[in-house]
Amino acid sequence: MSGSDRERVHSGGACPHTHPAQYRHPVAMFRLQGSKVLAVDMTGDSVKAKNGSMVAYDGRMDFKKLTGGGEGLRGMVTRRLTGEQMALMEVKGQGTCYFADRASEINLVSLHGDKLYVESSNLLCTDGGLRTGTSFTGLRGGATGNGLFTTTVEGTGQAAIMSDGPAVVLRVTPPYPLSVDPGAYIAHQGDLRQQFQSGVTFRTLVGEGGGEAFQIRFEGDGLVYVQPSERNTVGGDV
Amino acid sequence: MPFREVNSKMVEATVVPGQRMYSQRGAMLAYRGDVSFTPNIAGGQGGLMSMIGRRVADEATPLMTVEGSGTVMFGHGGHHIQVVGLEGDTLYVEADRLLAFDGTLEQGTMFMGSQGGVMGMVRGQVTGQGLFTTTLRGHGAVAVMAHGGVIELPITPGRPVHVDPQAYVAHHGDVRNKLSTALGWRDMVGRGSGEAFQLELSGSGAVYVQASEEKL
Amino acid sequence: MNTPVIHDPMSLPGDDNVDSYTFCVELKGSQWFLQKGKMIAYYGRIDFNGVGHGSLDRLMRTSFHSPLHASDWVVAEGSGKMLLADRAFDVNSFDLDDGNLTIRAGNLLAYQPSLALKQSIVPGFLTLIGTGKFVAASNGPVVFMEPPIRVDPQALVGWADCPSPCHHYDHGYMSGVMGGLRQLSGIGGASGEEHQFEFVGAGTVLLQSTEALMPEVATGAVPHADGVPGGGHGPGRPGTTPRLPGQLGDLQHRFGL
Repeated sequence: MSGSDRERVHSGGACPHTHPAQYRHPVAMFRLQGSKVLAVDMTGDSVKAKNGSMVAYDGRMDFKKLTGGGEGLRGMVTRRLTGEQMALMEVKGQGTCYFADRASEINLVSLHGDKLYVESSNLLCTDGGLRTGTSFTGLRGGATGNGLFTTTVEGTGQAAIMSDGPAVVLRVTPPYPLSVDPGAYIAHQGDLRQQFQSGVTFRTLVGEGGGEAFQIRFEGDGLVYVQPSERNTVGGDV
Repeated sequence: MPFREVNSKMVEATVVPGQRMYSQRGAMLAYRGDVSFTPNIAGGQGGLMSMIGRRVADEATPLMTVEGSGTVMFGHGGHHIQVVGLEGDTLYVEADRLLAFDGTLEQGTMFMGSQGGVMGMVRGQVTGQGLFTTTLRGHGAVAVMAHGGVIELPITPGRPVHVDPQAYVAHHGDVRNKLSTALGWRDMVGRGSGEAFQLELSGSGAVYVQASEEKL
Repeated sequence: MNTPVIHDPMSLPGDDNVDSYTFCVELKGSQWFLQKGKMIAYYGRIDFNGVGHGSLDRLMRTSFHSPLHASDWVVAEGSGKMLLADRAFDVNSFDLDDGNLTIRAGNLLAYQPSLALKQSIVPGFLTLIGTGKFVAASNGPVVFMEPPIRVDPQALVGWADCPSPCHHYDHGYMSGVMGGLRQLSGIGGASGEEHQFEFVGAGTVLLQSTEALMPEVATGAVPHADGVPGGGHGPGRPGTTPRLPGQLGDLQHRFGL
C-alpha cells in the first residue's frame, strides 16, 4: 500500500460522512448467492457492512471503518454503549463484493421510507444511502441480559439482516398480536409497540428450570422477524 | 463419481474391492456391508502419502483408509459438504477440510513458496505455523467440508478474485495466488492480525469460498 | 429480487412445517407436549404449564412416563398457532400409527398427548408409543436407512420397529497400530470408526450428520468494557454452553449419562 493511500484512509476515517440525499451513483445491487452469502454489485457506489464480514471480492474495493450509530457526540456515546458489536465499515468500489458472517442465513429487507429495528449483531449490510442509528430497548435488554440497544435503519433502499437459520417473517395486525421468545427475535419494522410479557409460570416436579418465562408481545401493525433458534436467554424458557 | 450427495451435510460413498478411499477420522456416520477402516500412519504408504499422513497427524486428524465392499455414509460436525469432481486438474485444499476422497487421486503436498500453500502462506506469514497445503490431482471426486454453504467463484484472466483467508476453502485450475490487502482493510481489522490480508487469486480456474470467516 | 414470505395467523400451516427449520403447531383447545425453550413465537391465547402442574395430572398418567425428563417439558394448551424451532436444526414431523419409535431425548421437540412417552432401555433415548404426531430436530435432514447397518452412535437419531441396537467394536481398528497407541497413551477417545451401534432385523434407522458444533456465540451481547452498562455476562447462567440434540443438559450430568 502506498503512502498516499494510507493518508487517504486516515483522513477519511476521521470524519465519516454519509450523504443520503445525494445519489451521485447508481444504487448497489443486493442479491443472495445461496442463502448465506450476500453478493453486492457496485459501480462506484458504497454500502455499509458489518466490520470484517467481507469474504471475497473481485474488481477494486476500498474499505473504511465507520463509527457506529451516526455522527457527532451522540454517535460517540452510542458507540460506547453498543460497543464493537455495532462496528460498521464502508465498502466502496467497482465490482462484486461478497459478504457472509459465521454461516448465518441472510434475509433481504426492502425499506421504503420506513424504519427497521434490528439487533445490532444481526445487521450485515445496508445501502450506503440508508441511515443507521440506535434506539433504546430497555425491556428486552432486561429479559435477555443483553442487547440494551437496538440498531435502527431508516430511509429507502435495501438492507441485509442475519439470522441463525432462515428468518420467519410474521405479520402483526391489531386483532392478531404476536408473542415472541426474546432469544428468537431479530428485527421488526412498522408501527409496533413492544411489551414485556411475563407471568408464564412453571411448577415442575424436579423444581429445576422453574420460575417465570418472558416473552415480548408485539401489538400494532407491522412485521416481526424471528429466527428458528434461540440465543441463551435468562427468561425465555418456554 | 463414488460420492452421492444425500443432503447438504451427508454423502454416501460406494466402496468396491480393489479401490480404496481415504476419509478423515470420525467422518464415518454409518456403513453397510463389509468395510474396514484403517488409520493411516506416516510411512505406511511412503512417499507423498506419508507426508500427508504426517502433516495431518500433527493436527490430530489422521486419515483413514477405507476398503472393502459396501456403502459408507460420511459427514462431520454438521458441516456442509461440497463434492468437487476432478478431471485431470489439481485441487488445492487444506488437509483438515478433507472429508473423504477417491484413492485414485494422486496426493501431494505443496510447500509454501511462490505457488503453493495457500493457508500456509497466510499462517506462515502471520502466525508462523503450518507450511503446507494438500494437493489432489487426477480423475475422481473429493468431498470437502466447509462451515456454512460454499459458493464457487470463477477466476478468469484479468479478473482476479480476492478472498478472506479465513473463508477460503479450496481452489483448482491454473491459478496463482499472492497476499494482498485492500485499501483501508488493514486499518479496520487491525495491523498484524491474520485478517489483515486477502488472498489474491489470478489466472483461470475457480475458488471455493465458505459463508463464514470461521476455521473448521 | 426474492421477496420474503410474510406469514400471518391465517397463512401459517396447521401442524406442518413453515420451512425446513420451523414447525407450526395449531392448537384448537387441544394440548401438546413441548420441550422447554423450543417455542419461538405464537399467535393467540396459549398457556404453558410445567409438567407436574396439578391440573395436568390426568394427562401425565396417560402420556408422560419419564421422570428423568420431567423438568425439560411443558404442556401447551389453548387456541392459536405456535412456531417451534431448535437452534436452526432441521425440524420434521413424524406420524405414528399404532406404532413405536425410539428417539434420542434431545432430538424430540414436541408430541401429541395421544402418544405415550417412555424412557428407552438405551440410556438417553425415549420411546413414543401409540398413534399421533411428533416433531423432532436433526442436524441436516433425517436420512432413513434399513438394517442391517452399523451407525456411529453420535449420528443416530432413532429407530422404529427394529430390535434395540447392540454395540459393535471394530476389531481391526482396535488391534491396529492406532488402537494400541491410544490404549497406551489414552489419547483420543473412540470415534465412530471403532465403535458403532449395530442394527439387524426389520425396521427403520434414522440418521443425522454428527453433531459436534461450533460453540455458540452470544449474539447481541454487550462487550465488557469500562462504562458499558450490561457489559460482560448477563445475570445468571454465564457462559452456558448450548445443549446439543441428544444431550440432556443438567440432568445428563447429574445422572452421569
